[in-house]
Formats: sequence, structure tokens, C-alpha cells
Amino acid sequence: MKHLPKHLRPRRRYLAVEIETWPDADLARGPFQRELWYAAQNLYGDAGSADADLTVLGFDYADGIAETIVRARRGHVEDARAALACIDAVGGDPVGVRVRGVSGTVRACSERYLHGRAGISEERTVVFENESRTAVVRDSLLDVGGSDGFTGATQLDFE
Amino acid sequence: MYEAVYAHPDGESTASRAAVAAGRYDYDGVVVRALDASPDYDRLREALDVDLVDAVEIDASNPERASGAVGNYRPQRELLILRGGTNALNRFAVEQPRVDVLSRPMEGNGNFNHVLAKAARDNGVRVEFDFGPVLRSDGGTRVQAISALRKLRELVEYYDAPYVVSATPSSHLQLRSPRELAGLGEVIGFDREQVLDGLREWGRLAARNRERMSESFIAPGVKRGRYEEDD
Repeated sequence: MKHLPKHLRPRRRYLAVEIETWPDADLARGPFQRELWYAAQNLYGDAGSADADLTVLGFDYADGIAETIVRARRGHVEDARAALACIDAVGGDPVGVRVRGVSGTVRACSERYLHGRAGISEERTVVFENESRTAVVRDSLLDVGGSDGFTGATQLDFE
Repeated sequence: MYEAVYAHPDGESTASRAAVAAGRYDYDGVVVRALDASPDYDRLREALDVDLVDAVEIDASNPERASGAVGNYRPQRELLILRGGTNALNRFAVEQPRVDVLSRPMEGNGNFNHVLAKAARDNGVRVEFDFGPVLRSDGGTRVQAISALRKLRELVEYYDAPYVVSATPSSHLQLRSPRELAGLGEVIGFDREQVLDGLREWGRLAARNRERMSESFIAPGVKRGRYEEDD
């Protein structure tokens, strides 16, 4: 179909979103989009989520941190923030979600807010609670493995 | 703005990790609701540019036990939080000026009414709006949590009782930034400023209590030192 003339196209806003998780998780665009739709639908219903029109555009995941762009209709940015805040897990992996910024175009959004990722991660053996454990280290942040999941720590806890 | 977090071993992240994450989420500091956690506050405050408040959360089964814990911890800690959740504990907390915050009043069998709201206002006990269940549960539990928040909010607004807002995160992944919480608050009927003010209240409480614990403090309005200059 012929696309709409410019003045009739919906106005949109693009949210740069950072998703943090434990190092053993595997995030992808599909499951995240599904969680976002569920979150929006549970929070403000079918009508509201159709209005907000939340769509996940890019998705870039590496080393426990994902960067993505979420599209929302202009005037629904606060609704989009609320729905994003309600995502507590993607496919069973707990996640932390943070909006880095909002732009009017995809290009401005990715240029200004994305690709500022933390350094490369490595594995190290540390002593935590008098036990030897493996930890995934990124900058000064450590995710210490254990029998019942990870524990978040920083370099300061090992000095 | 401050957020009140659970730190390892009460939560899944250590106090320092929660503080680093809170800094990235635009908070000025964290209140560590310690049940068993005992981080080295002086060292962390020095190393990080995020403030940490030495708080205790009392999780007692009945008012008698809670009363002992309040007397015990009040002189030691900068902020005293009492976890509600039963009518007896809620009642006890709002009638104790020594308690700073009544946490999770609507959890479990707990409920709130006009008598408690008035007592909270008169005794300056902050009532906590717990956004945790709204953020992390779904279905019927979540609906109940949202309607409980509405009831609590209407009472707190009507009687002008003091309040705090928290997402009660037990790991750095459960933190959410103030703007996200404000956006969520608006959807469930709060006022934007109301949510942000509830987050600022933690900081105000910490500052007030630190001043009270300082050497120069004698009583509200009275302190040791030089006379104030009159303009």
C-alpha cells in the first residue's frame, strides 16, 4: 500500500533501553518483545497497549548487558516507561531495565545513547563467604556464582 | 532521591553492588534495610560517590518482640524500619514515634484505616508505599496489591500522613529508576510528584536522623555550639 503523506504519519519517540541480567542468561529480541507486550497489556489493557504501540527495534546482547531501542507513540513515553519497569524477567531470567534516554529518531537515539557498553568480561576465582567460587568480572563489578544462583558484588567486597 | 534496598545476605546483591547500580539509576544513595547484612559503611561511603544509610528493618512476629528490637536498635542505627503486615504490628508501628518507617503495611493480612493514618501523622511515622508487588507479580496478587495501594494512598492523602515510596528491591536487577517509578505510579493512580517526593523522603529522614545522632545535637531546635548570627 502507498505509504502515508508525512503529515499523517504517526509521531513516534524512541527509547534507548539497557537490560542487565546475570551472566548465564541468554536474551533475545523475540522473548523481550513478548514480555514487553505482556507487561503493557497487564498494566493498561488492550486499548492502552494498542495506543502506546510498543515495538522493540534493535537488540544487541553481550556479556550480561543488552541494549535495545523501543518505539512508542509520542505522548505515550511515560506509559512506555511504566511498562518497561514492570518487566522483571525475560524467559525466566531476572532482568534489570533502565531507560537511558528518549529521542525523536532511531538514528539520534542510537548515536546518543547506545554503544556505551561496559568492558569485556572475564572469569575469575574468588573467595566469597569463606568459599572458593567462580565469578564473572566486568569492570569492577562481579557476579559470583553459587549453588542457588548468582550474587551481585563489586571489587570493594574483596578488599 | 534514595531507594531502600535489601543487601546480601538478605538479598542477592551486596550493599556495594546495590549502591553502584543505584548511582547508575539516578539515585543519590541507598538505604540498606539490614536484617542480617552488616556492610562496612564507612569504607563504602569513602570509596563510592553514592551515599549509604545504615538502616535496620525489624521483622518481628508480634508487637512485644518488635518493641524490644526497637529499643535495642534505635540508638545504634541511622534509620529504623519496622515491617508491618499484621494489624497488631501496623498499630504498634504508627503509635511509636521512635519508628521512622512502617514498611509493607498491606502485605499478608495487614490492613490500614483512618485511626492508623491519624496516629502515623501525629507520631511522624512514614508509611511505605511498596511498589514491589506491582513491579514483580502478576494476576490476582497484583490486582490486590494495586487496590491495597489505592486504599492506603487515599487514607494517607486525606489525613496528610507522611510517606515513603520504594520498589523494595532485593537485588540490583530489581532496582528501577525514579522516572520509571513515577511513570508506573501515574498509571496506578499516584501523582508524579507524589512518587518522587516519596523517594526523596528517605534522604530527608536520613539527614534528620544523622543530625540528631551528631554530637552537637541536644533536642530539636537546641544544639551545642556558637550562637547563630542574626541578620
